[in-house]
Amino acid sequence: MKCEQYEELFAGWLNNELKPAEKEMLEQHLTGCAACKAELASMQQLWVLMDEVEVPEPSANMQADFRTMLNDYKAAEAGKKSSSIGILEQLGWLWQWKQRWPLAYTLAIVLISFGCGYLFFNLAGGSKQDKQMVELTSQVHELKQTMMLALLENPSASERMRGVSYTGEIKHADKEVIDALLSTLNNDPNVNVRLSTLDALTRLAGHPEVRQGLVQSITQQDSPLMQSAIADVMLKLQEKSSVKSFRELLKQKDLDHGVRDKIKETITQLI
Amino acid sequence: MNSLADNTIMLKVKAGDLDKMGLLFERYNRPLYGFLFHMTYQRETSEDLVQQVFYKMLKYRETFTATGEFVHWMYSIARNTLKDQGKSLKQRVKHENTDDHAERLSGGLTPEEHLEKKQAKLGLYKAMEKLSDSHREVLTLSKFQELKYQEIAQILDISEIAVKTRAHRAMLELKSIYEKTER
Repeated sequence: MKCEQYEELFAGWLNNELKPAEKEMLEQHLTGCAACKAELASMQQLWVLMDEVEVPEPSANMQADFRTMLNDYKAAEAGKKSSSIGILEQLGWLWQWKQRWPLAYTLAIVLISFGCGYLFFNLAGGSKQDKQMVELTSQVHELKQTMMLALLENPSASERMRGVSYTGEIKHADKEVIDALLSTLNNDPNVNVRLSTLDALTRLAGHPEVRQGLVQSITQQDSPLMQSAIADVMLKLQEKSSVKSFRELLKQKDLDHGVRDKIKETITQLI
Repeated sequence: MNSLADNTIMLKVKAGDLDKMGLLFERYNRPLYGFLFHMTYQRETSEDLVQQVFYKMLKYRETFTATGEFVHWMYSIARNTLKDQGKSLKQRVKHENTDDHAERLSGGLTPEEHLEKKQAKLGLYKAMEKLSDSHREVLTLSKFQELKYQEIAQILDISEIAVKTRAHRAMLELKSIYEKTER
């Protein structure tokens, strides 16, 4: 065997990963080959030096952020579960109806009567009812909006996230909602909340003030996650006016290198 | 050691007992952070990535089958997360950071030892930083995460022989960069 072939066993020897036979073979070769011995010794020196490599302590935030994330996740999961239980319960009811046919007939008659009545009144006073309906809808809408704005101020991150998710149900986001979301996007301490806010705002990108706000937000984000997510959104929206802000961001010296590459790529794709 | 318990715990998480993920976090946040730190050399990014990996483990808990070890699954998800981020795994650590870091590490040595060791460490840091991604990955997993070749083979989804070869080339590359690095 040539020295080169023995060399291939060096890393395994250092790592204690050689089979007994390989180990013996190598060690036997080393007794007679000064060059290999020296080579292995210098590699071993480096290997031992690597023991002194230390990883800096993570900040205390890591633990706290995990707890927040877990709680948020559980809350979101619980929300999903309760709505699916609701459907199951309703299906259960239907099943019971099926077993009570007489009752089902009664129900059918009641429904038909209601239907006739509705048609009758609808024809008679349609426009008035429509008006009431519109009023009611707008009241519900307002209520949702108030609730959402209140939730965004909540100290718990999972509640704030719930607030952000309500915006999906608000059909016509007005300035107040948009301002609240933009302020959450720029100032919320929790990165998960900021990310879902970015999602919500992307859906509202039809509003010029949302686009403008997103572009302005580029230079205000310091988390690499957010910076990279915003770059994705800008590319998706083909927002050319963001190029200037991205160039501004590139001037920051402590910018994450991965993000730097991504932003450069985004700029080239936008121009 | 912990492996049976890890898998049992993760299966509980899979079954819906999400709080149990807290136990796995207690056990593995540091090793995971260590791995991510070596792959990025950015403290904050690594912390962010730890959150993402744990989030993904919750989200994709259905995919955990317990046919392998929990840690292998965790490292596979960590690798995918690094890829998804579109981050080039190689991110240059700023030189002043390297200096600070080496400074802090070598704080307890006598003056002569101090200087020599500091230089050696600094050289090693610079060399590791320049190492190619796949080589740094295999060295991190074997040296710092103390995983066996057979385990690394599962995480990287390559043969054990391939891990052996890669580890060998990684050491050669590291040594050659280290010797060339100005100190």
